[in-house]
Amino acid sequence: MQTDLIIIDDYCQKCNIEPSFIFLLEEDGLINIKHIDGEHYILTSELQEIERFSRWYYDLSINVEGISVIHNLLKRIHSMEAEIRHLKQHINFFQQGNNNYPEY
Amino acid sequence: MAYINYYDILGVSKDASQEDIKKAFKKLARKYHPDLNPNDPEAKQHFQEINEANEVLSDPEKRKKYDQYGENWKHADEFEQQRQNQANNGFNGRYSYWSGNGNFTGQENDSGFSDFFESLFGSHKGKSTRSVFRGQDYTAELSLTLQEAATTHKQVLTVNGKKIRITIPAGIADGQTIILKGQGGPGTNGGPNGDLYITFIIKEDPIFKRLGDDLYIDVPLNLYTAILGGEQIIQTMDSKVKLQIKPGTQNGTKIRLKGKGFPVYKQEGQYGDMIVTFSIQIPTNLTEKQKALFKELQQQD
Repeated sequence: MQTDLIIIDDYCQKCNIEPSFIFLLEEDGLINIKHIDGEHYILTSELQEIERFSRWYYDLSINVEGISVIHNLLKRIHSMEAEIRHLKQHINFFQQGNNNYPEY
Repeated sequence: MAYINYYDILGVSKDASQEDIKKAFKKLARKYHPDLNPNDPEAKQHFQEINEANEVLSDPEKRKKYDQYGENWKHADEFEQQRQNQANNGFNGRYSYWSGNGNFTGQENDSGFSDFFESLFGSHKGKSTRSVFRGQDYTAELSLTLQEAATTHKQVLTVNGKKIRITIPAGIADGQTIILKGQGGPGTNGGPNGDLYITFIIKEDPIFKRLGDDLYIDVPLNLYTAILGGEQIIQTMDSKVKLQIKPGTQNGTKIRLKGKGFPVYKQEGQYGDMIVTFSIQIPTNLTEKQKALFKELQQQD
């Protein structure tokens, strides 16, 4: 499983971000950090999230507290979108059955 | 090619300071950034515009060039010549949002910059100050018929020029997205590849309606079978079944055929149900004899 981990310092150096930002994300419970033999690692599976948070932090000047709020709200949006899609399918289904009445 | 007023886009005056431009851009970027407006093409369009405006106005050299030539854009030919003369003087951009992941998947080669921009400054090749690591995610849509969605099968997709063979499990739902890990854009600096997101669109079927794993079908039923009972053949997704119709079956009667519905996604051997609604066909254009017989029945009732 070692290949699923990336050393934080290496990652930050390659991406020109500060390691302190990564630790702030962990403090807020937004990502996980693994500590093995005195080295700190991020998980490859969380890279997508980390890059998204980096964009918000560095490009949009949103602080970590703001990132946390946005992250949670986006999760709610995604869940509501899925629910809306599901309900739309139901509505379409029942409309199809009820629109075929001839007019008198 | 239309002239683009970058100052208007950012809502700043022509004499705005670099600080004003930066502030205006960040304010608008926070509003329209696609990360914060998922699946919103309008926001994406807005963001492209403000990103382009910022690319020009936040760079003193580009801003000067834009101010000099931009207003007189109607003389396109002259500027084209100017541009060619200065071809080697093209810009070496700062970080561009479009060079990042951005979730604008499948658009690796699409800078998102206008023709106006490219004519004035050449092709946009932003150099990132904060390089990306993980590769770009790609998205694709795939349309299937209901029949196709009912069987596990393989398809070859071409995504960004690359052929990808995928297996589509039976029972996939309309709007469902599957993720193919590592099939997106290549990572940089030793980072992993992005992922490929495939969203399925299931076309409507003329015979069956699907709701979850259940299938619904309307079956016309002969009046005499409805009254006297009898046999009726019902079409399912992959075969036909013979049903015994009870005497006195009413119009709109629904019956449930267990396990004759749609295959359940990734649960081999499991199927939803089929719900059959009978629609009793009343005979029309009766002959005189038929009419007389119906009248006789009526009088007996």
